Amino acid sequence: MRDRPNAAELAEAVREFLESEVLPILTDHRLRFRALVAVNGLGILERDLRAGSGEDEAERQELQRLLGSEEKDLVALNRELAQRIRAGEAPPGTFAFLERSVRAKLRVASPRTLERYR
Amino acid sequence: MSAPAWAGELRERLTGLLGGSVELEGAVLLAGGASKEAWAVDARTAGGVEELLVRRAGGGVIHADTLSLEEEYRVLEAAWTAGVRVPRPVAYLGELDGREAFAMERVEGETIGRRIVQKPELARAREALPGQMAEELARIHAIPAAGLPFLPHADLLVRLEGELDTVEEPHPALELGLAWLRERLPTRRAALVSHGDFRLGNLVVGPEGLVAVLDWEFAHVADPAEDLAWPLVRAWRFGVDALRLGGVGEVEPYLERYRDLTGREIPLAELEAWEILGNVKWGVGALTQARRHLRGEERSVELAVLGRLAAEMELELLHLLERAA
Repeated sequence: MRDRPNAAELAEAVREFLESEVLPILTDHRLRFRALVAVNGLGILERDLRAGSGEDEAERQELQRLLGSEEKDLVALNRELAQRIRAGEAPPGTFAFLERSVRAKLRVASPRTLERYR
Repeated sequence: MSAPAWAGELRERLTGLLGGSVELEGAVLLAGGASKEAWAVDARTAGGVEELLVRRAGGGVIHADTLSLEEEYRVLEAAWTAGVRVPRPVAYLGELDGREAFAMERVEGETIGRRIVQKPELARAREALPGQMAEELARIHAIPAAGLPFLPHADLLVRLEGELDTVEEPHPALELGLAWLRERLPTRRAALVSHGDFRLGNLVVGPEGLVAVLDWEFAHVADPAEDLAWPLVRAWRFGVDALRLGGVGEVEPYLERYRDLTGREIPLAELEAWEILGNVKWGVGALTQARRHLRGEERSVELAVLGRLAAEMELELLHLLERAA
């Protein structure tokens, strides 16, 4: 057992500190820009930790179906799809899969980007 | 900020170049690009103060076809001679404390893309920019290639495929973009001197619009449509998505102005194929930038986060592929 705050809550606490106490006093704009990037990075970390493994499992099953493969490793499955596309042999359903998997990545990395595509 | 360790070297070099003795008055590191340093340096000579910008190599380069600072300086000179709006080149400086550098005139204006598309006081500039960008590209594409034999002319698709392989992480969406481009990208036009990174973040903008074109490190020889399409890439609209040309204007008048000046007719559909390529290029670029951090070439939170943001370009790519189908 690990005591609270859990990993996502810790990332959140650090992000809030940077936002409310560090950013307001930064005047050098290089430093400010990097601090904003760091805040964004912590936001990604929080969402990644909270996302759990549900998305991965769904992606795994979808890739196994798409490729007709029993491979379990998600990176290996994506690599096989990438190789087939490069060889000019993208399986039917590739586009729909990619749209779902890229959107899943962005729910963690940049939810605001998704809003721009509604 | 204290003076850099190479201030003495710089003073000696400039003393020879500017004639007479030179005193340096402050050197300030500006918000610079990802792989180069930019220093604001004031050099006092007998004739007055020269406001200089010293561009100096940073740690590592972005990709194998990046020009050396000496080559970049020669391109800047060629652009200046050809009448392109660029800062006046002052001198190639050789190495300062082990890293190449050159000096050019320091020009005043805004270079932060997000501010260029937003600042109320730049409203007039935004109106002028689409036409000015077309004019500047017409001038750039007229720079004689013969004087710049070192400019790379690699096949961009082959290069991107190779760079994607170095990432060592599968990106099937980018592969789909590359596969589409291998079949559909028109490649019938003569290759011309190209800037290679012509977008809002690399322009100096004043109240009347374009003041200077910066950052020539990716200059190469290519189909001019590549330069023309690059500022259309959504990441370079800085949040103003509806204005497809860099967040400042519409595409059609820009293309027409370019055609009127050069006689080169580039259909919108063709430009859009190059826009797709632009998104693949920046997607691959974001991934390779993140590797510079992950491999320890240059540790930086900014580079690290780019690894996750490549998915933004992947989504835009899928969106454009669907529309082009």
